[in-house]
Amino acid sequence: MRLDPRTKMVMLFAVSTVLLLGGNGGAMFAVRTAMLLFPFGLLAISGRMHAAGLMLAAYLGSYALAAFAAPTLEGIANAITVATATVVSRFVPTLALAYFVFATTTVSEFMAAMGRMRIPDWIAIPLSVLFRFFPTLGQEARAINAAMRMRNITPISRGASYVENCLVPLMSCAVSIGEDLSAAALARGLGAPWPRTNTGSVGFALVDAVVIAVSLAATAALALSLAFPEAIAW
Amino acid sequence: MKTTGNASASTSKTGGRLTGKDLINVGIFTAIYFVVVFAVACLGFIPILMAAICGIIPLIAGIPYMLFLTRARKFGMTTILGLLTGIIMFITGMGYFSIATGLVFGLIADLIWKSGSYASASRAILSHGVFSCWIIGNFLPFLITANTYLPTVRAQYGDAYVNELMTYLQPEMYPVLLVACFATGIIGGFIGRAILKKHFVRAGIA
Repeated sequence: MRLDPRTKMVMLFAVSTVLLLGGNGGAMFAVRTAMLLFPFGLLAISGRMHAAGLMLAAYLGSYALAAFAAPTLEGIANAITVATATVVSRFVPTLALAYFVFATTTVSEFMAAMGRMRIPDWIAIPLSVLFRFFPTLGQEARAINAAMRMRNITPISRGASYVENCLVPLMSCAVSIGEDLSAAALARGLGAPWPRTNTGSVGFALVDAVVIAVSLAATAALALSLAFPEAIAW
Repeated sequence: MKTTGNASASTSKTGGRLTGKDLINVGIFTAIYFVVVFAVACLGFIPILMAAICGIIPLIAGIPYMLFLTRARKFGMTTILGLLTGIIMFITGMGYFSIATGLVFGLIADLIWKSGSYASASRAILSHGVFSCWIIGNFLPFLITANTYLPTVRAQYGDAYVNELMTYLQPEMYPVLLVACFATGIIGGFIGRAILKKHFVRAGIA
């Protein structure tokens, strides 16, 4: 299953809006739950069962913690438990969706979709570099972490200067990777005075229509429930 | 900031249109900036620290920002950095107000950096102070959409949590948060500059 990058953007917008604003009443609870489970389902369908299961477990676990453990605790312990659970359960669904979008979109497809939407270069290029760069940055961070562990440099032994110990090498190598990336992109015709062609093919299919319809329906339901709180509060 | 011979080799000339290379640089530094912000924001799990992350993020984020400024010698780059940071905040579920605050404060920071001809150290630090104010956008959902957002939270998680949270996020707290962002942004600018001198200038990449 392949979704068009533009579909993914509509979906990101709908899920973020519905989860942020929420809305009240039974109907909106159903809509919100549906939008919550949407990202996990997409992750699973795209063949990332492991990640989907892990994130869903984190979500349900934190939700259960807030629902069952919180009422039995008092004062500050209550506040900390509930806050942790709230933050985790609020951000895990959007993080799952962001992961899905990042993992299933190639830079080529993304640039093609941006081109079709007439998004100017000054926003499309940095965004595509950003998408391309996160996994690289993660790899470098892991390598630096391993090196620091080997030299017994931990947050405990170094305190605040641990930040310096890790961030400085990370930034240095990010800069040099950036130089390589620029050279590669220029060699492929980025910054040429005429429009680029693209090997990524994008286009809408039936599954795109379904996802967009669901996203729009959820956003519409939210707008309706905010405008007329009584209309669908059952 | 003093320009070294090496810097002018790795960055384009001051002024003029943004080239592909500039835009790639913006993308890379947005990634680093976001990673720093996200790592610090994880401390916000605890409600007491939630408001305090306003003051902690700029302290560390000053390091990538100062290195970024050594490459941002054209108008528009800092604005795009702010806009993109806001967009990522939106994608990761922090609401869309950060897009607006990122754009506005990024633009002002850009103008300040431009007014120092992209070379003044004091303007660089001031620019980071202003830029850091975008963080307020992460808290605006509590203020602007409170009427729809809070009952949901209250129903799900009980009064204790909401009351705890709202003692820190009263409407009159927002100017305080903004000032805190700015002040720690200035301090973060000094930290970033010190690190820049200590490591990056010496290594020839600043």
